[in-house]
Amino acid sequence: MSNREIVAEHLFKRYEDFNAVNDVSFKVETGEIYGFLGPNGAGKSTIVIMLTTLALPTEGRATVGGYDVVTQASQVRRIAGVALQEIGLDPLMKSMELLMMQGQFFGQSRKQAQDRAHELLELVKLDDVLDRPVGKYSGGMRRRLDLAMALVHRPEILFLDEPTTGLDPVSRRDVWNEVRRLNRDYGMTIFLTTQYLEEADELADRVAIIDRGKIRVEGQPDSLKAELGGESINVSFKEVEDVEAAQGELADMFDRMQVDRKTLRLYRADVAQVVPAVVSRLNAKSLDPVSLTLTTPTLDDVFLKVTGQRFESETDNQTAKPETKRGRRKSA
Amino acid sequence: MVANTTNPTALSESRDQGMAHSAPFIQQVTMLTWRTLITNLRVPASVLPSLFISVFFLLVYQASLSGAASFFLQGQSYLGFILPLSVVSAALSGAGTAGQSIVRDIENGYFDKLMLTPVNRAALVLGPMIAGAILLVVQTLAIIGLALLMGLNPVTGVSGLLAVIGFSLLLGIAFSGFTVGIALRTGSAGATQGASFLFFPLSFLTATFVPLDLLTGWIKTAAIYNPITYILEAMRAIINTGWDGAVVARGLSSVVLMGVVLFVWAFLSLRSRTQRK
Repeated sequence: MSNREIVAEHLFKRYEDFNAVNDVSFKVETGEIYGFLGPNGAGKSTIVIMLTTLALPTEGRATVGGYDVVTQASQVRRIAGVALQEIGLDPLMKSMELLMMQGQFFGQSRKQAQDRAHELLELVKLDDVLDRPVGKYSGGMRRRLDLAMALVHRPEILFLDEPTTGLDPVSRRDVWNEVRRLNRDYGMTIFLTTQYLEEADELADRVAIIDRGKIRVEGQPDSLKAELGGESINVSFKEVEDVEAAQGELADMFDRMQVDRKTLRLYRADVAQVVPAVVSRLNAKSLDPVSLTLTTPTLDDVFLKVTGQRFESETDNQTAKPETKRGRRKSA
Repeated sequence: MVANTTNPTALSESRDQGMAHSAPFIQQVTMLTWRTLITNLRVPASVLPSLFISVFFLLVYQASLSGAASFFLQGQSYLGFILPLSVVSAALSGAGTAGQSIVRDIENGYFDKLMLTPVNRAALVLGPMIAGAILLVVQTLAIIGLALLMGLNPVTGVSGLLAVIGFSLLLGIAFSGFTVGIALRTGSAGATQGASFLFFPLSFLTATFVPLDLLTGWIKTAAIYNPITYILEAMRAIINTGWDGAVVARGLSSVVLMGVVLFVWAFLSLRSRTQRK
């Protein structure tokens, strides 16, 4: 099989005084699904636009399928399919028109482009809305058409920048299934960014957690979770002071403790066995927990461990710094 | 985790050979032209106002000024004198179509999508420009048709009218270089719309209502340096007095010069927009 790797070596992207991407290196193997997980503004989209030839790295080197993204941009464009975070579709055009034009730009004949368009519309289940301009599509339909657009030229490597952001759970499942199928049936290497832990966990063979322009940790989701050292007890209190008091009280029992707002997370090898002891110690000091749960680690915990912060997705953090993107609207 | 060895020679050669090439340049331009046409026609409101303005000019000026103008016309038709102004205004506003189409693509992100294909960058601007020109010719035909209904009788006949359409086309394409340049540089619909209006004074700082000889003072100076003046004169001569080689040549060189300057601007803007940063 051809080289379908993605390699980034010490990539930097600076905007004025701000490092959007700060020394990022990774290697995605042929046929792998690689997840880039991070909150808004972490630098995910910036990496995608550099790897897909829309922006130049300030420093560093990257290859896609063996082609250099700076010096061999046109080769990269031919083997890479891209669905950007912002869906770029002309709302006045119809799906067939968009797909056929895309195909012909990639060198297909009219007939080939037409056949391919039909094939893809069936694939993304849009073959029943041919006469409707894209502007009248729902968000999920537009996403699916955008995915089809990325597949027109049968790419070997697919870049999906937050492919399910803003989708309802059913559409999200559809996209996941499609991503898995493309990877399985065509051996496509897939580079996927997401701000959903569940998505990375579900889809990616390997995950890199990126925060403020840097990769904080990288590995298989399961081994990342396993490295956290098993389960944790999470004790929540009404007041922050109680959390602090409890922390002092329980310190000698645990390998590691972490405070997350009003929740105290306690880590050690055999947590289930020490639950009674935790409860009695808290009782003795009249510290009444609001809740006490036992959890196996999630990628959320991995994120918390490596960044010291709780993972914040778009929905629960409106003040997140907006993702730095290539300026579509340049100031005059 | 960092790969230190990426061997470009390890690529399968069959992939390089098997890579489809893009459609020929002409076909790309044709597709993009067609696409701009259909998207504009799906929103008639984007095309109709400029036609309305041109018709308005023709009707209002003819009705209000034809009597007053008789002293300099010496028997020539005022309709023939004012029609070129209407054509120029159609060309100027019609040329906005190209800029507006491009700015729409930039704003909705489709421009980036096109940038990810092997499409020729020049085709991205030529398509909308040609589409704008086609719409403009249709519009010019409508105005001329109306003038004929109002009694226009060009001394040079059908060939004269074709020449007027030719001028309109050239002016429209030239001016679209301006709106396209603004669109590419600003990526803003508002700025593009606003900048299109900047050219409107050009159709007034000229021999708009009377011939150049009758202008005085600063407006005469402005008119002398305004290429529109010579384009208007050429069209007026063709309709009202006949083929005057020198006048037509002056008009033609004015529009070509304007076109060259504005196209250079448009392509510099294209380069700055499509250059990776």
